[in-house]
Amino acid sequence: MSRHAKHRKAAAKAGRAPESDGLDAPARAQAALSQGRYREAVELHKELLKGERRPEWLDCLAQAYAGRAEGLAAKGMLREALALWHTRAELCGRPLAEGPYIDWLLQAGEGDKALGLLAVAGQVAPESVGQLETRLAAVALLAADSALSRLPADSALRRHRVPALAAIAAYGRGDFAAMDEQIQAIPFRSPYRDLRPLLKALAALPERPAEAAQALDRVPARGPFEPLAAALRVALLPGEEWLAALGSLDEEARQLVLDLKGCPPARRPLLIDLGRLGAAPAAEPLFDLLVRHRQHLPEGVAARLCRRLLPHAPACLPRYRGAFGRLSVAEEERLLALAAELRGASPEAEPHWLRVARDLAGAPARSRGAALVLRRLADDRAHCGVDGSLDDEAMTWLARSVELDPDDRDSHVRLVQGWRRRGDLKQARAHLEAALGRFPKDVQVLLEAVETALASGAFKKAVGLAKRVLELDPINPRVRSIIGHAHLSHARKHIKAYNATAAYRELDEAVQWLRSAGERGTSKLLRGLADERGKQANALLREGVAEWGGALLGGFHLALEARRVGHDAQAALRRAGVDAAATPSAEQVVALAHALNGAGDKDRLLGAALAPFRAALGRAALAPYAEADQLLVCEAFNRRGERQLLRSHAEAAIRRWPQRPVFVYLKIFAGYGDRPWAIPDRDLRTLERALDMAQEQGDQRTVVRIRELLAQTVQGFGPADEDWGEPEGLNPEDPAFMLELLLNLQGEKRFLEIARAQLGEQVFQEMRREIGGSTKQFARALIAIMVEAAGRAPAKRFAPPEAGAPPDAAVPFRPAPRRKTRTPPSPDVQKGLFDD
Amino acid sequence: MTDPYRVLGVPPTADDEAIRAAYLAAIRAHPPERDRQRFEQVRAAYEAIASEDARLAHELFDTSLPGAAEVLDLVGTDFQPRRPDLQRLRRVLGAT
Repeated sequence: MSRHAKHRKAAAKAGRAPESDGLDAPARAQAALSQGRYREAVELHKELLKGERRPEWLDCLAQAYAGRAEGLAAKGMLREALALWHTRAELCGRPLAEGPYIDWLLQAGEGDKALGLLAVAGQVAPESVGQLETRLAAVALLAADSALSRLPADSALRRHRVPALAAIAAYGRGDFAAMDEQIQAIPFRSPYRDLRPLLKALAALPERPAEAAQALDRVPARGPFEPLAAALRVALLPGEEWLAALGSLDEEARQLVLDLKGCPPARRPLLIDLGRLGAAPAAEPLFDLLVRHRQHLPEGVAARLCRRLLPHAPACLPRYRGAFGRLSVAEEERLLALAAELRGASPEAEPHWLRVARDLAGAPARSRGAALVLRRLADDRAHCGVDGSLDDEAMTWLARSVELDPDDRDSHVRLVQGWRRRGDLKQARAHLEAALGRFPKDVQVLLEAVETALASGAFKKAVGLAKRVLELDPINPRVRSIIGHAHLSHARKHIKAYNATAAYRELDEAVQWLRSAGERGTSKLLRGLADERGKQANALLREGVAEWGGALLGGFHLALEARRVGHDAQAALRRAGVDAAATPSAEQVVALAHALNGAGDKDRLLGAALAPFRAALGRAALAPYAEADQLLVCEAFNRRGERQLLRSHAEAAIRRWPQRPVFVYLKIFAGYGDRPWAIPDRDLRTLERALDMAQEQGDQRTVVRIRELLAQTVQGFGPADEDWGEPEGLNPEDPAFMLELLLNLQGEKRFLEIARAQLGEQVFQEMRREIGGSTKQFARALIAIMVEAAGRAPAKRFAPPEAGAPPDAAVPFRPAPRRKTRTPPSPDVQKGLFDD
Repeated sequence: MTDPYRVLGVPPTADDEAIRAAYLAAIRAHPPERDRQRFEQVRAAYEAIASEDARLAHELFDTSLPGAAEVLDLVGTDFQPRRPDLQRLRRVLGAT
């Protein structure tokens, strides 16, 4: 639409308005102005002014023009805005140099015109001249002399320009004394006054940033030299903050900051782009940036930084190779392993780490790196039980790490602990000897020697070793306790052999080392048990029971000690006057639960010691426990496999706290934990509701436990006498099938234990090292090898060995190279292969 | 974690002694009562590279993402601060 058409339309609209809104013309004009309809307001006020030139309508017209011009300027239509401003000045008799006019002129690059306002008298109100001169100081400083010559001779812009330019030139030459001299010639009220602190700040950079900052503080915001002030403020930002702030400057100011920082021109685009990425750039954009600008960086910097980014951006690996060349095998595998870990896929990281370790182990100078990698793998939660026990793979890796880095004491110690925990004292002693050979005076290693001697029943040796520890560490309370317990154990041995005199001697020794009332109580119990007939002995038993805290806990310890020395627990309880049938209080049961939790996992006599108290403990389920205490009791019974007691206590707890899903889980686990396939539908539904409830309550442990139990209901196998049929497509005479079945039934850990027993430790370990991979992968690889061996050799047996049976030396096959496909053995060889 | 070598101001080839000396100097310069955050940073950096094993572990397992500050440090090792070009200064002064 043309301007005239618009004009006509607005006028017509203005003319029609009275008929539609009932307002008179002045009111309509005012309404248009107040509602921001400036174009319409201009037309309406012009119409009104044709009739009568009222001053208030003239003001309104000026306002309407201003509003309209500002709208245009906001859209970037500066020329149109300036033209409208000129019309406003002519029609409304307003001075041109007011409002945003000067800003628009400067923005439109019409600095000379702005200066021209000062040259013509009357264009600017006298009281505004000083303000306008300051506003135009930057323009005047760089304007042509001819533009300045039009200004009055006494104009500050003309008079102070010379020292201002001289000061800038002196700064440019680095002549700071001359610069200071020229600065002094710029008066405090000069339009150029901001140049004084700005040049001082520039001169103080970069050596004296505090001084520069101080000078800059004297520069007011939005002064005539704001672009320079802003650039200097950015240059003074601490650390890397200036980098991100570069984006707030225009190109010239950015380059000035980079000049001040001393950045070579070739590297400037990199820094500007880096600033755009922020203080913590994401890996991939930063990788791109470094690769793009790599030629301009100091040698090796881009490659080093990119390698650090690769675990976070593994997709960039091909681009890395393209830009910087191939990485070594170990390095590439390391990056892939870290990438897998960062995305939470530890099992995927494992094969990469194993390849890293293998590669590093090949070079003696880097073997410690390989050892570190193997130790890290062994520390992975997937291979490490909550009690710190390590699975087979972790033990293998740890053993290999000790071979590669024999100076790592902690790994020696963990290996000894690991083998001892598994009950393989031969292996534990072998590793202990290696550790003692390397660390003969290390307290930690000696303590392991003590523990291993105790586990072997070599009590005298244990005491001797413990005394060596005390020589090195005289105030070690743990060793004192160990020595005391070693004497107690030795005393038990003598009591069992009916050698009361020797037992008393050991107990005399023990009390010198034992500190707690309970430990002394045990000593009294053993003293009483050593003499089965004397009245004094019965008194000692009563004292021992009392020192352990009375009927339940004391009785339990008495029963336990009696079983340990091969005596009848019931008889011992009768001698001590303990009524095992009396229902214990909640406090007594909680104390017993603590004792059960504190007892070693491998003490098989705990169950037997509990036997006389089971009925009473079952009745005690209804005692008034606190919720946390009843849970503690339930968990203690669960840990000891006391399913009936667990069930009683969990049921009692459900009645009191039906909203706690953990008790629901414990109750159902007590009933069906060993045969999850038999859980009735009703209990399955209860479990599912408990699962939802646990999720709502954020009880993650219970969530995991219920899920595991539910998963077993699907995956589990029924009892051996039930006919489950054969899985479709599998032949029971196929060794692969049978081994897979064995693996499924026994689990990976047990499967590997069987394999270890059958193959012998040495062969097993060699195969473990050669095959590598996770437990699952190794188990599968073993199956493949065994199936192949079965095809080559006469029938080989692979079944759980008898307890204590030596490894079967008749299965000497070495690990064959890993194969991806299995060769089915001939039917004749399969026959009778799995008789066991 | 920020690059511990950078925090302590030592080269990646520094030995135990040099790292310990740099650590002691850094905690003297940033005692915990004055700048707790910086002190913690210095201590964490020292623990990360105090021994040969720790340095090897850092080299193998470090997954810290380099930030802009670290990139700037590495990129700006050879920066030589200077006065800006006079023409540029005049252009910035005259910009409105």
